Amino acid sequence: MIKVDSLKHTFTIGKKDKENRIEVLKGINFNIQSKEIVAIVGKSGSGKSTLLQIIAGFMKPESGSILINNTEIAHFSEKESAAFRMNHFGFIFQNFQLLPGQTVFENIELPLKLKGIGHQVRQKKVQEILKKVGLVEVEDHYPNELSGGQQQRVAIARAMITNPPIILADEPTGSLDSQTEQEILLLIQQLNKNEEITFVIITHDEEVASIANRKLRMSDGFLVGGTQYAF
Amino acid sequence: MLFKDQILFVLQHMKKNKLRVTMTVLATMIGCSFLIVLASVGFGIQETMRNEILNQEQITQIELWGNETLTEEDKKFIEEIEHVNVVLKKESINSTIHSKLEGREGDSNGTFIDISAQKKLPSNLSEGRLPETTNEIVVGFHYAQSLLNETDKAEIERKSKAAQEEGGYYDGADEGYKGEILNKKVELQFFDETAEQYGEPISFTIVGILKEPTYDWYIDSSIVFHDELRNAYPALITSPTTLIYVDSLEHVMPVLDELKEKKYQVYSQVEQLEELDLFFLIFKLGLLFIGTIAILIASIGIFNTMTMAVTERTREIGVLKAIGASPNLIQRLFLMESTFIGLLGTILAIGVSYIISFLANAILPHIVSYALSDENIMNHDITFSMIPLSLVIIAGSISILVAIFSGWRPARKATKIQVIHALRQEL
Repeated sequence: MIKVDSLKHTFTIGKKDKENRIEVLKGINFNIQSKEIVAIVGKSGSGKSTLLQIIAGFMKPESGSILINNTEIAHFSEKESAAFRMNHFGFIFQNFQLLPGQTVFENIELPLKLKGIGHQVRQKKVQEILKKVGLVEVEDHYPNELSGGQQQRVAIARAMITNPPIILADEPTGSLDSQTEQEILLLIQQLNKNEEITFVIITHDEEVASIANRKLRMSDGFLVGGTQYAF
Repeated sequence: MLFKDQILFVLQHMKKNKLRVTMTVLATMIGCSFLIVLASVGFGIQETMRNEILNQEQITQIELWGNETLTEEDKKFIEEIEHVNVVLKKESINSTIHSKLEGREGDSNGTFIDISAQKKLPSNLSEGRLPETTNEIVVGFHYAQSLLNETDKAEIERKSKAAQEEGGYYDGADEGYKGEILNKKVELQFFDETAEQYGEPISFTIVGILKEPTYDWYIDSSIVFHDELRNAYPALITSPTTLIYVDSLEHVMPVLDELKEKKYQVYSQVEQLEELDLFFLIFKLGLLFIGTIAILIASIGIFNTMTMAVTERTREIGVLKAIGASPNLIQRLFLMESTFIGLLGTILAIGVSYIISFLANAILPHIVSYALSDENIMNHDITFSMIPLSLVIIAGSISILVAIFSGWRPARKATKIQVIHALRQEL
């Protein structure tokens, strides 16, 4: 499903005449199968977030290849990346990234709106997903009226409303207390099992990583451990 | 994203920033109203002057100049031009004609007119008929007023002095012959170019009185003679002119062009109308240019509002991009917002401009009349401000285009926002 080959990326920082190049990814290779939960773990600065951002198409890699369902996405234009994300990825962020001016319902239906789906279908789909994540009673609330756990549930609902095959999660429980964290992790496991969604979770928390079928460990721009399938 | 959803999305954001959007709409409205009202003055004055020209009876008339009288051959050629109704030959007598009636005297200008051609034209008489014989005449509307005796002359002098002292003038309307002048016999004396009497005084019968002149200030005491009388006075110095009457206003220019092509010296007030239109076109363009500056100033407001909106919504733009919004969509949403601001400001401006225009036309004549101490201004049909549809379309287009253009750069900026940087922003 996801095949990453020889992925390299370097950040250039500082002023033009005093540029400093930092190699963040130094040739990453891995393969993720459909319906897996894969955790990419590593310390801060190991390059795991950069890896997720490149897979998501938020930035282009310096070199290497990323195949998603046999489509090479590493060199997509911004427009192509956006269209690809809309159809293939859902996102869960550490700080939820909900739109504060929109209600729970509106936040969840946003990806459907972007896809150009009509009002009636949206209503039906959002109602279904609200039931799945247990947010029916707060559909008219604004994000700031919800607890952290509820906000992350909204983010998860938004991520899966378009039935994407892959959900990319960047520290999905990083802003939650341990009890809420457990609830969210359980929800992820249920969705993986029931909806057959592939999850790629970036985390530094071993407990979060424990729900994954596989762990890919990163350190200093390299994959240093974990189970990698042979290409 | 469906177009309807895009509109709702944009309106939702505008609603959230109600105060800022309202102030920007107001700025746009003021700029656009200024443009429309300013240009409407040009349209208004042009309309007044056009009406002034069009209201003149001679609008379908072409004047043919020349030192010599038109030959029969020329007359025939002109008469055969399509849309020419009548070719009227006139000869204005260069010297004055002295009138005597019941102890009163007066001097007038005289004209020989082709009576057979004149008969084909709509009547220009207020009373009576056209001359049928050489000893019949038609006189101007104020002819009787010009016939004075010594008492009248003294009275006019006295009244004129009094009027001058008050800063005005007296036109002698209260003096002159007061009886019925139609069918009266009047004795006329012609003069030659050296002001010597030419021929003996002859008695003529007044058979018609011309209509009152269009202009209030014009005193018409002229005398119209039958053209056949011209042969009896071969030594009279006259200025011949020919008037060509065209069937309608729209055919004046083609006839005029054809005559010019044949090297005739011609003039029509329609030409004056064209010159007037050209002058006012340039005048109105100048006003539009000045007015556009006001809109450009308002556009700075739109630019600021949109830049603020992009800055404030950076994180939101990041989220939208992350979940699949294309750069084009982001740009479109912001452009739509600036367009709505421009559109709303323009619609309000059109309404406000019509109100200002109406008030200007209702109030300004009173102010001008008061300032100039001239009550006659109130009687004139003066348009101070006029807003035709074309002005609404031009000003509206300028305003909306400027609004879109103002939103362009902020919208482009929004598309350039990096998802990663945007998502890192705090609320």
